[in-house]
Amino acid sequence: MQGKRVVKPENKIPEIPQSVFLFRSCTGSLEYPGTENAVRETLRILGIEVVMDPDQTCCSGYLLTCSAHKPEVSLAVTARNLALVEGKNLDTYTFCNGCYGYLSELSHILLHNPAYLNMANDLVAQWGYHYEGRTKIFHVQEMWYRLRDRIADQVVRPLNGLKVGVHYGCHYLAKQYGILDDGGYPTFHEELIELMGGTPVFYKERQLCCGYAVGRGFTHREETVQPHLYKKFISAREAGVDLMTTVCPGCNVALDREQPNLNKRYSEDFKIAVIDLAQLIALTLGVPVQKLGFEANTVPLDDVLKKIGTEKGS
Amino acid sequence: MLREHFASAEDELIACILPREVRALPREKDRDRIENLYSKVDIYGLVENLENCLQCGKCTGICPVASLSPSYNPRQIIHDILNGSEKRWLESEEIWRCFWCASCYTLCPVDIFFPLLMMQIRYLALASRHGVKYFTPFKRFAQRAREDGLTFAPGSPKSRERIMKIRSSIGLSPWPEISDRAREQYKALFDLTGTTAFLESIREEEEKPLALTYLGGRITRAGKKGRQTGK
Ligand code: SF4
Ligand code: SF4
Repeated sequence: MQGKRVVKPENKIPEIPQSVFLFRSCTGSLEYPGTENAVRETLRILGIEVVMDPDQTCCSGYLLTCSAHKPEVSLAVTARNLALVEGKNLDTYTFCNGCYGYLSELSHILLHNPAYLNMANDLVAQWGYHYEGRTKIFHVQEMWYRLRDRIADQVVRPLNGLKVGVHYGCHYLAKQYGILDDGGYPTFHEELIELMGGTPVFYKERQLCCGYAVGRGFTHREETVQPHLYKKFISAREAGVDLMTTVCPGCNVALDREQPNLNKRYSEDFKIAVIDLAQLIALTLGVPVQKLGFEANTVPLDDVLKKIGTEKGS
Repeated sequence: MLREHFASAEDELIACILPREVRALPREKDRDRIENLYSKVDIYGLVENLENCLQCGKCTGICPVASLSPSYNPRQIIHDILNGSEKRWLESEEIWRCFWCASCYTLCPVDIFFPLLMMQIRYLALASRHGVKYFTPFKRFAQRAREDGLTFAPGSPKSRERIMKIRSSIGLSPWPEISDRAREQYKALFDLTGTTAFLESIREEEEKPLALTYLGGRITRAGKKGRQTGK
């Protein structure tokens, strides 16, 4: 990993925008709706207006990577969604590594292959869309880090040393060019945990993929996904992780929902709660627990909330 | 003087090895042999630097799937594709294991974006109706997504109700705000790009058996238990 691949947050987001376009994530609004709400509330508290639009659809990347969409449809959907954002003169902020990775990759392909760009723009022209490549794609985790001072200033519910193991997720780190940190050994989530009063835990397998990627949870759960996740959770437990954070609702599904299955198969007792980093930030910034949708989680958060000193409902 | 001497010595040497007119062409360039071989796999032209692969194996070293199933080997897959012998992979179960985590890409010294190759390897496997069972669940998800404009929106009334309850209780609209117009346009793009037809064309009953699979440390012929090859 070379230093020049890494961008400073102040270079990536030179000026803090007044408003951003928030790109709805299917999983983040359906499986864990608390994620969508936490992102909105956190941006609001940090002084940024959130713009969303019901005309936005799924980014269509996930099923493309499962080889179940033709690239043509995903390229056209990308052109349509991003043209919609360009119409508002805003940058695009995603809260799912999938949306982030697919939008960046597909817009890159569009902007470097005139034939694909023309094809996509021809298809969406009938509805008045035309994609030019003006809107930049960000992940909200980049905004959290850019606004780390504002977050530190506004913490009202510090984490009281809670041991947090972070999970960055492949589709952010694997971008490797133009991301906020060294994709080979990132630390910016840990820095955020620290300034919220938590104890970041560098567990050995923290960079191991969630394993549900491109649907292997549906096709190879027993052969590959479970032994893979078993390694991850053994290492997290050994390091004493109380809570795991993600920045991708897809990873969250794998890490949270798969624990009871691992317990059954390996006669284990893993019960590490897994939430989105935005939910944790929202919590420390004082957003009421009942607005964060933790009842969608498989592994309950009771112990974690007790440690922070906020039981459910307060 | 000196140069003249060498020039003539060289001529002499060549002349005594073979007369110029019967000398064979130099060995063909790798490029001449591999061109069009991997473009057969890279149908969409998304991985244009595959022939730069050094065969260093870093990809396989970091690959979490290779660490669990040694018969899955991205370096070997690239090697075989460059040599035009990708067929055995297309008929294998292994190619359906890749997590698309792109760890391989992060270490690759020449920046080969292997996941986009894998996506296309799987299209090719499907074209010959191999691995259909690893595609079928996603066919269903894709057909649903085409209607919903969202991926993984639950179909059953019970799960829908559960989500709507959680969303309402935290102050969100009961269902993610997506307009009818957005849904119709999303659907239209599926139809216009041939994705709807593609999904319908791959039917479960046409599935061809996989030729090779990995079992207990050995590559075996799938479906014929106990008959192992390559002992
Ligand atoms: S890491 Fe890159 S260069 Fe090395 S074998 Fe893998 S694909 Fe080839
Ligand atoms: S993308 Fe596939 S081949 Fe590459 S490291 Fe991940 S699982 Fe292995």
